[in-house]
Amino acid sequence: MTNMAEDLKAEAPFLTPGAPTAEDRRRTERKRSPREAKKRTANMVIYGVLVVLVVALMVPFIWMLSSSLKENNQVLTVPIQWIPQEFVWSNYTDIWTRIPMMGYLQNSLYLAVIITCLQVLTGSLAAYGFSKVRFPGRDVLFLAYIGTIAVPWQAYMVPQYIMMQNLGLTNSFNALILLQAFGAFGVFLMRQYYMTIPDELCEAARIDGLSEYGIWARVILPLSKPALASLALLTFVNTWNDYMGPFIYLTSNRLWTVQLGLRSFVGQFDAEYAMIMTGSVISVIPILIIFLIGQRYFIQGIATSGMKG
Amino acid sequence: MKRTTLAAIALAVTAGLGLTGCAGAAGPAEPQAAEGKTRLTVSVWNYEGTPEFKALFDSYEAANPNIDIEPVDILADDYPQKVTTMLAGGDTTDVLTMKNVIDYSRYANNGQLQEINSVVDKVGKDNLAGIDAFNMDGKYFAAPYRQDFWLLYYNKDLFKAAGIDDPKDLTWEKYTEIAKKLSTEADGKKTYGTYHHIWRSVVQAIAAAQNGADQNSGDYGFMEDQYNTALDLQKSGATLDFGTAKSQKTSYRTMFESGQAAMMPMGTWYIAGILQAKKDGKTNVNWGLAPMPQKNDDGKVTTFGSPTAFAVNKNASHSDEAKKFIEWAAGEEGAKAISKIGVVPALQNDAITSEYFKLDGMPTDELSKKAFTPDTTELEMPVSDKSAATDKILNQEHDLIMVGERSVSDGIAEMGKRVTSEVLGK
Amino acid sequence: MEERPVTGAVIMTTETIPQAPAPVQSRGNRKQARRNTLIGWTFILPNFLGFLAFTLIPVVAAFALSFMEWTSFSAPKWIGLANFERMFASDSFWIALRNTVVYALGHVPLTMALALILAMLLNRKLKGIGFFRVAIFFPYITSLVAVAVVWNMLFSPDSGPINQFLGAIGIANPPGWTSSSDWAMPAVIITSVWRDMGYYMVLYLAGLQAIPTELYEAAEVDGASAWQRFWNVTIPSLRPTTFFVVVMLTVSSFKVFDLIVVMTNGGPGRATTVLSQLIYQEGIGEGKFGYSSAISLVLFIIVLTVTVLQFKIQQRRER
Repeated sequence: MTNMAEDLKAEAPFLTPGAPTAEDRRRTERKRSPREAKKRTANMVIYGVLVVLVVALMVPFIWMLSSSLKENNQVLTVPIQWIPQEFVWSNYTDIWTRIPMMGYLQNSLYLAVIITCLQVLTGSLAAYGFSKVRFPGRDVLFLAYIGTIAVPWQAYMVPQYIMMQNLGLTNSFNALILLQAFGAFGVFLMRQYYMTIPDELCEAARIDGLSEYGIWARVILPLSKPALASLALLTFVNTWNDYMGPFIYLTSNRLWTVQLGLRSFVGQFDAEYAMIMTGSVISVIPILIIFLIGQRYFIQGIATSGMKG
Repeated sequence: MKRTTLAAIALAVTAGLGLTGCAGAAGPAEPQAAEGKTRLTVSVWNYEGTPEFKALFDSYEAANPNIDIEPVDILADDYPQKVTTMLAGGDTTDVLTMKNVIDYSRYANNGQLQEINSVVDKVGKDNLAGIDAFNMDGKYFAAPYRQDFWLLYYNKDLFKAAGIDDPKDLTWEKYTEIAKKLSTEADGKKTYGTYHHIWRSVVQAIAAAQNGADQNSGDYGFMEDQYNTALDLQKSGATLDFGTAKSQKTSYRTMFESGQAAMMPMGTWYIAGILQAKKDGKTNVNWGLAPMPQKNDDGKVTTFGSPTAFAVNKNASHSDEAKKFIEWAAGEEGAKAISKIGVVPALQNDAITSEYFKLDGMPTDELSKKAFTPDTTELEMPVSDKSAATDKILNQEHDLIMVGERSVSDGIAEMGKRVTSEVLGK
Repeated sequence: MEERPVTGAVIMTTETIPQAPAPVQSRGNRKQARRNTLIGWTFILPNFLGFLAFTLIPVVAAFALSFMEWTSFSAPKWIGLANFERMFASDSFWIALRNTVVYALGHVPLTMALALILAMLLNRKLKGIGFFRVAIFFPYITSLVAVAVVWNMLFSPDSGPINQFLGAIGIANPPGWTSSSDWAMPAVIITSVWRDMGYYMVLYLAGLQAIPTELYEAAEVDGASAWQRFWNVTIPSLRPTTFFVVVMLTVSSFKVFDLIVVMTNGGPGRATTVLSQLIYQEGIGEGKFGYSSAISLVLFIIVLTVTVLQFKIQQRRER
């Protein structure tokens, strides 16, 4: 339940033309005060709940952070030490030279950006076809899409690899891009969202003479910003954190992504956990930035998705 | 509007940064093989963190200037999975490093490796520790360059502080007794007498080796004593309990290097690790080596170990060069190259062993030297096409016994039942 | 975006499978149908081509493999239903199936409910709400290794805070969690719900944004209470999103792999071994690609059946 309704009603008296009299203002203020107070306490309660929630959710991340500042053989102690005995800040400078971390970050970024853009583009296009255009076999085909999501990647990993090897695409970014940019997830997500957009809008646009592609670009896309934002965000995160795909298809070290780089600290019999955590903390930062940017669209969504008028 | 332009700019910048990665930003492009040089590809794990590969490759290239070795770097964690996938796709990597014997038997049985009897004969079977593991009906498909076996690491200072003699000729009873004596608690900090890592070999492989038993047999009564010892240590608090160690991914290096464990049965690969840690000042444990505890105290030492080997891919592009490399690596030159960095070579003779003990930081007392030359080293797991499936079952049941879900006798019975029906198909 | 008065819009948004406009004449209809087919395909084509080539074909190949024996080196050998016979006779398969179903039954409803509650909590213009949204998403982006280590510590039977708390409120024999066969799966479910609720909250947030405020205003004018507004406006409007969330949750629950491997590795014993793990162990682990493909085929059929059921239920609700 959005509080926009409350906000709108609260602002209403001030938007009406004609200056409100002092009497009016005092009356409305008196009427608003108890509601304001109730809203403030409600907000305090919400803040309280959220803060507790956030602390609970962040615990592993705090452990990650603290581990990144320890020596390798101090990370997995029993019992867990939340505060490092000595702060090994050098981990954060060493990691750039121990492994080509900057290069790995660039590789991950390249892959994530390209795959996200392609996934959002082709997914929203296909979703329009699956939701707004009627043609025979549409629903069966869509079911096939969803069906393949049901198969774990471990099952068809090897046939896929053999195909890629025969196409000469192994040990290249293109293999991963081709594999992940055309997923069913994006199509499914956008289709569901498009179904909440009433057909009347499309009809009206058609009457206006817009082609289907025009409708998609000028009517549907702007309306689906929250869904596009969430698809972009989730695709970005999943690509950024993907391990198995890059592991199987990127052999040369110069192509490795951050996840592979972090695992290179896992040796045959032991692992350098502090360095792994340092790298993990660094690799979380781009996602945080993207999320902070992207989640603004969830506020803008309130303003533009309502059919005002 | 300002927000969207800001977001757009941020996106453009990140995209731009990222696009520089399109050719692979984490290193220079592979140099093409120089004129006249043959490029030999070798699959390795964790190239940066496993110095023995670099040591071998650099020495070989120095001795053979017309060869250029290119390591195919694969992450250690999932090394066998990637090699399996690569081979399934018809990969042409020349030399395949066999990380353990179980994987070797699978690839050999699948016909994915070339026979290299000639190489093995030239290096000489007598001095190659662990060579028997690679014998498949008289044919050899890999040659070991490195042999790790298990011994006991101990913390000399903790022993001295408790007034206990160095662990010579230990039986399992004596070992348990000492471990209990060495377990103390001071200021809320626990020191354990010993640390048993969660791998099933710590209990099962040593039992198999010292009882001359076969882990693929389906009959596991021989493990009973060892399990009782392990559980006794756990219950009395002389070692960290299995459940905690497993769920919190306890690092054996942490336990020993922080002085939390006075003793630790572990493989010889750790020698290189602790040497480096002491050099870097990450630990100051005064460590020594002793033979693994035995069933009796007649002084004969039986332990278990695992060789690491090189094999030639059936689809290799340079088979002859590959075979020459393996001959070198498994032979005297290769052994010298890796013992310089603290790795135990498969080729064992007095010259190499004395070189090894000259390493900076090695304990040079008699006990450590005795630990280094066990009388018998059995294979950690026998070579057979049943090994992979058996290993999985034994691991699962090991879990259940060690967390206390099953009694020792029930667990052993279940192991036997499952292996007999699921793997041996009886 | 074009501003135009759309009067019927407010009522229409609650219907989620919109009806196409009724066909006008038969001749024009056929031409329209052909045009529609062409247009539909051009929209789908970019995604579909990639999907067909790189996902659909390997999947079909994998299913074909389930009737064969293949060690990845020699040519595959047809063996009919032998893999399936072996699978149904195998203890490990039934254990893994049971574990997977239990996991799904626990994971899906809990994650869905919590994700919805969180989305509603965060769907407001409070100062700093962005920070809280990011924080809820944090578990999903935290390294799995960190998640596993910390939660295992929390679940530690003797010294973990959870059992200490349970002991403090008078529970005599607190569960052994990841050290016990019976309680390992609940522990994993709790951890996975904690981890995934942020991910699905994002999806619900997007869905909530699509609900026009006029609906709430109209309901409030009609005198509906907050609960009634939730039940009669929010829930119905969220149906497409909920469908998506339920399907994705179900599918991903049946495919769960990474968390299990890092947290318990299928243990203790086989108490948390799931089907994906079995597929991986048998296939890549032991090289029995035919057998592991057979297991994947069964998994696929189960998940597809459940998804189609969910599809049908949703369609029926729309009528």
